[in-house]
Amino acid sequence: MRLEGVGHRYRPGGPWVLRDIGLEISAGRLTRVVGGNGSGKSTLLRLLAGIERPARGRVVGRPRTAYVPERFPPALPFTAAGYLTHMGRVHGLRRAAAEKAAHAWLERFGAGRHARTPLSELSKGSCQKVAVAQGLMAAPDLLVLDEAWTGLDPDARAGLDRAVLDRVAAGGAVVFVDHDPRRLAEHTGTAHRLAAGRLTPTPPPACSASVLVEAEAPDGTPLPAGLPPVTAVPDQETRPGTVCLAVAADASDALLRALLSAPQPWHIRAVTPIAPGKETGR
Amino acid sequence: MTALLRYQCALLLRSHRWLPPLLLYVAFLGIGVRPSEPVLGSLGFAAAALLPTAAWLVRVCVTQEPDAARQCAAAAAAPWRVHLASLLTALLASATPAVIATAVVTAVSDPYTAGRRAEVALGPAAVQGVVAALICVLLGTAGGALCNRPVLRGTAWTVPATVLVSFPLLFLPGSPARAAVTGLSEGSRTGAVVVPWPGLAGAAVLATCAWAGACALSARR
Repeated sequence: MRLEGVGHRYRPGGPWVLRDIGLEISAGRLTRVVGGNGSGKSTLLRLLAGIERPARGRVVGRPRTAYVPERFPPALPFTAAGYLTHMGRVHGLRRAAAEKAAHAWLERFGAGRHARTPLSELSKGSCQKVAVAQGLMAAPDLLVLDEAWTGLDPDARAGLDRAVLDRVAAGGAVVFVDHDPRRLAEHTGTAHRLAAGRLTPTPPPACSASVLVEAEAPDGTPLPAGLPPVTAVPDQETRPGTVCLAVAADASDALLRALLSAPQPWHIRAVTPIAPGKETGR
Repeated sequence: MTALLRYQCALLLRSHRWLPPLLLYVAFLGIGVRPSEPVLGSLGFAAAALLPTAAWLVRVCVTQEPDAARQCAAAAAAPWRVHLASLLTALLASATPAVIATAVVTAVSDPYTAGRRAEVALGPAAVQGVVAALICVLLGTAGGALCNRPVLRGTAWTVPATVLVSFPLLFLPGSPARAAVTGLSEGSRTGAVVVPWPGLAGAAVLATCAWAGACALSARR
């Protein structure tokens, strides 16, 4: 499928959120969209998923689609399995297949015991598992993930990584946005950067970041000057005074040297190669 | 479409959000319909009160799903289908009380004209009553569709609009609802039972246009 000359704004006369976007989404390929907060990533994903129609331009050849939002609200009067069975049928499955898929996917994300729990009683993370299961259960040809990993526990995040790779291997197209630059970095076929409403191809993160360096210094210590190109990785567990830096493998020595020989030296806590398709744990 | 309709109906039934509009309708009936009053006049009242009820039920149905859940359904089935399913759910939810109320009102009312001048055949009267009720339901859903998302946005606009739209739909000359209700109250004086089929066709056309407009906008915002 592709987007041709797509521009979008939310009301006539309002500011253009997206301008003149051309984008080809190929089957069997993992596509990543990067960009800062408010750059229009979510809007672009909603246009791709067919939830909104672009104000200008057109979207051609969208296949069977599923969408997973970042936060899934529990304000639905169904059990987890009940909601998924309904959605499975909306996705085109028969009743028995929908019921089976609902339980199978909840099981796969470690939420099998919540199948009969009302959504309103589920934790945020478990609700997100339901949303993710909804997206995967009918094996869509196009899967659109808007920070779908947010709120999932590490096992479920790894499970979603695997499910995405399975989908791509089976010939599906997957488009995703995630705040973690390491997310599926080794497998990302195409990446695009959104800035000022325009989309430009960008090298997939895998090319530049393949070693993760975790360093520590008294709170407020600035990073030394003259570092090789690095990406600061946001980490939920980061303690004050700790930074996680992703760097190209061949520049990792230079980074370590710069950190250790700084006027206020840094302590290196961990150096981890970013393994293909895995969460980098410590 | 069937799956979406089933999903939306289950959502409505399980959320119990149909209760406030239907309780209001029952209260309307309790005030306006007295047993052993002329049947056609009571049927006219029962039909007219359905119009704001249907408009409210449309509001309930198109706002009952949280945004994220609606987006998931829209990606799977196209936004206009999702919106159409909500409107159909509202139509079913208001057509059901329309039929029940007509049956109850016909059963408890007096089968005579006002002043007991002439007898009214209950069968044809019930048909006229149910057709008039469906006209009001169709126009109510049309009004509700045009006064809520995606056409109008923001509670400050949509709630007053949904309430106020019932008045022109019920009282403006040329409205099929007004003609149907007037037909019943006139029948109650003269004893003439005339089923407003042209009015039903007109209401169906108006509702289809309003629904189509709302569904066409559903992917815009």
